Amino acid sequence: MYVIEAENLSKTYDDVPVLRGVTLRVAQGEVYGLLGPTGAGKSTFLHLLLGFLKPSRGRVRLFGTSNLMAAHKRVGYLPERQIYHTRYTAQEYLRFIGQFSDMKPALLRTRIAETLEQVGLTSASDQQVSRFSRVMLQRLGLAQALLHRPDVLLIDEPTSSLESAGQQAMLELLVTIRAQGQTMLLCTHYMDEVEYLCDRVGILVRGRIAVETKVPHLHVPATSAVIHVDQLPPDLHTRLSRISPAVHCKERMIVLRPNNQQVQTTVLRDLLDAGVAILALEPLERPLEQIYLQAVNGEAPPNAEVLPLSLLSDQVVSPSTATRPSGTGDTLLKELLHRHSSAGTAPPALPDEPAAEE
Amino acid sequence: MPSMLRFLRLMLFIFLDYYRSARIVIEVIATSIFFMIFLRSGTRIIDAEYFFTVSSIFIFGLTLYTMSVMLNLSDRPQGYMLLARRLSRASYLLGFYSTGLVILGSVYILMSLATIVLHQPVGLTVGNWLLGTLPLFLNVSLLGALMLLLSPMVVSSGWRLLILGLIALAFSSNFIGHPILDTLPTTVTNVLAGAQTILSWPLVPAFSGFALTLSRDYSGSALVIIIAQVSLLVTLLAVAVYAFGQRDLIFTQ
Repeated sequence: MYVIEAENLSKTYDDVPVLRGVTLRVAQGEVYGLLGPTGAGKSTFLHLLLGFLKPSRGRVRLFGTSNLMAAHKRVGYLPERQIYHTRYTAQEYLRFIGQFSDMKPALLRTRIAETLEQVGLTSASDQQVSRFSRVMLQRLGLAQALLHRPDVLLIDEPTSSLESAGQQAMLELLVTIRAQGQTMLLCTHYMDEVEYLCDRVGILVRGRIAVETKVPHLHVPATSAVIHVDQLPPDLHTRLSRISPAVHCKERMIVLRPNNQQVQTTVLRDLLDAGVAILALEPLERPLEQIYLQAVNGEAPPNAEVLPLSLLSDQVVSPSTATRPSGTGDTLLKELLHRHSSAGTAPPALPDEPAAEE
Repeated sequence: MPSMLRFLRLMLFIFLDYYRSARIVIEVIATSIFFMIFLRSGTRIIDAEYFFTVSSIFIFGLTLYTMSVMLNLSDRPQGYMLLARRLSRASYLLGFYSTGLVILGSVYILMSLATIVLHQPVGLTVGNWLLGTLPLFLNVSLLGALMLLLSPMVVSSGWRLLILGLIALAFSSNFIGHPILDTLPTTVTNVLAGAQTILSWPLVPAFSGFALTLSRDYSGSALVIIIAQVSLLVTLLAVAVYAFGQRDLIFTQ
């Protein structure tokens, strides 16, 4: 049984389609990121899940039931806008919210204290909500969402109203919650949040999930790479250019577009053999950014692990069998660099090590 | 039982929000001014009939204000945070409505107490007060229920216009005089008269209730008026709850 199931979900306002046949499923313990530009229909999707809106077509199920009201006791909701009743203290507000979830008084007292501590609002528990800063309001929002220990958290743009320090603090809080195995559906237009927090991502464009993929697959190297070198001798320049049309040489850099393991290995081997100092090897674009831009522009997804308009099951995605581009985390590269280092040459700079899948 | 408890807590939550917003000051000031002008001793002899006449008009006016504020408060995005809990849409809507009635009822009781204690109006015993207050408060509830039904979050603007149009048609005999009617074809006047008769039928309990408040004469079939008022109230609330349940929740404030 999935925690969230949406099948062919469509929503139209005054003949304007906002969602057009969204299908997605979120399993227990999974963190799903719904990524999309402003106006893509992310909040509408959440409001359909919460039963605030009625689908024009399709259906929604939470915990296997289409009685969304009955599922509310298992759902925590953090809205995008900070829409709280401000004439209460944080503690009073949470007490009422807990009572509306049928929490028993003794349990509620304990949970309020625990949750306020969890979100870092203990010292402000008796402060009126109207005096809260934006960060504090967002923490209060998270507190009310977590108060009844929901089985799923529906989070709408958790950091969009915050400045950078607040964004970082909120993300860290969400990471802590995620570490406890919390199922989440995160709607955002920030790619960083998705990469940081989610197991799976669906890119919502013009009311449709244009692309869906597992986030670990985005940690594979990019399809294009650039090798920065100290100085490329003219003869090596010619030799490298002959390896493949994908190799584009300039005086201090070699672009591999499209990149693949064989080309990259050959190029690196030739560079090391020629004693050229490799300064850095890095992707040209982040995979998610690349996928996102392609989805928004209506182009085909870039590789086999990223499937358009589909639900990726484990059977569909098989990293071991898929053809993968090679890149910075490659074992061969490490081996070559180690050899280079052992030979007494200064080691080239390594970019941040990605979560390579060997 | 838990749902009743949730409902009562919601009413407390709404009332505290209303009270802390200081909006209640308007009710207090309005009531004080009304009391000073119309229920002050020395200006005239205050008897039961006078008390019910002036207090009915005042409380209807206050109902328009208090219910408008309540409906505005309910039509705010803050409502999403409540409705994401175990509160049904019906509880949410009726919570605001009932809190409004509690405020109006409290104001009316305080005003009545002050009048009785300070002026001892002729013929206004506790029993008499209860007999006059029951149909009066049912009428207040009816007015509130009609406002609830006509609020933007309950019905769309098309339905609202239709309902208001029907109400206007029911009252049309008051503002379409005989000179105008005489110029219309007989068929049109017959249709208009029929429509007026049919549409004014739901208004009968309200008008009869007002008459009962003034007369407090429960002999004969007067109880039917109370039953009709209660039936009309239940119908209006049921339609409002049903319509609210069917709509997309897009709070506007």
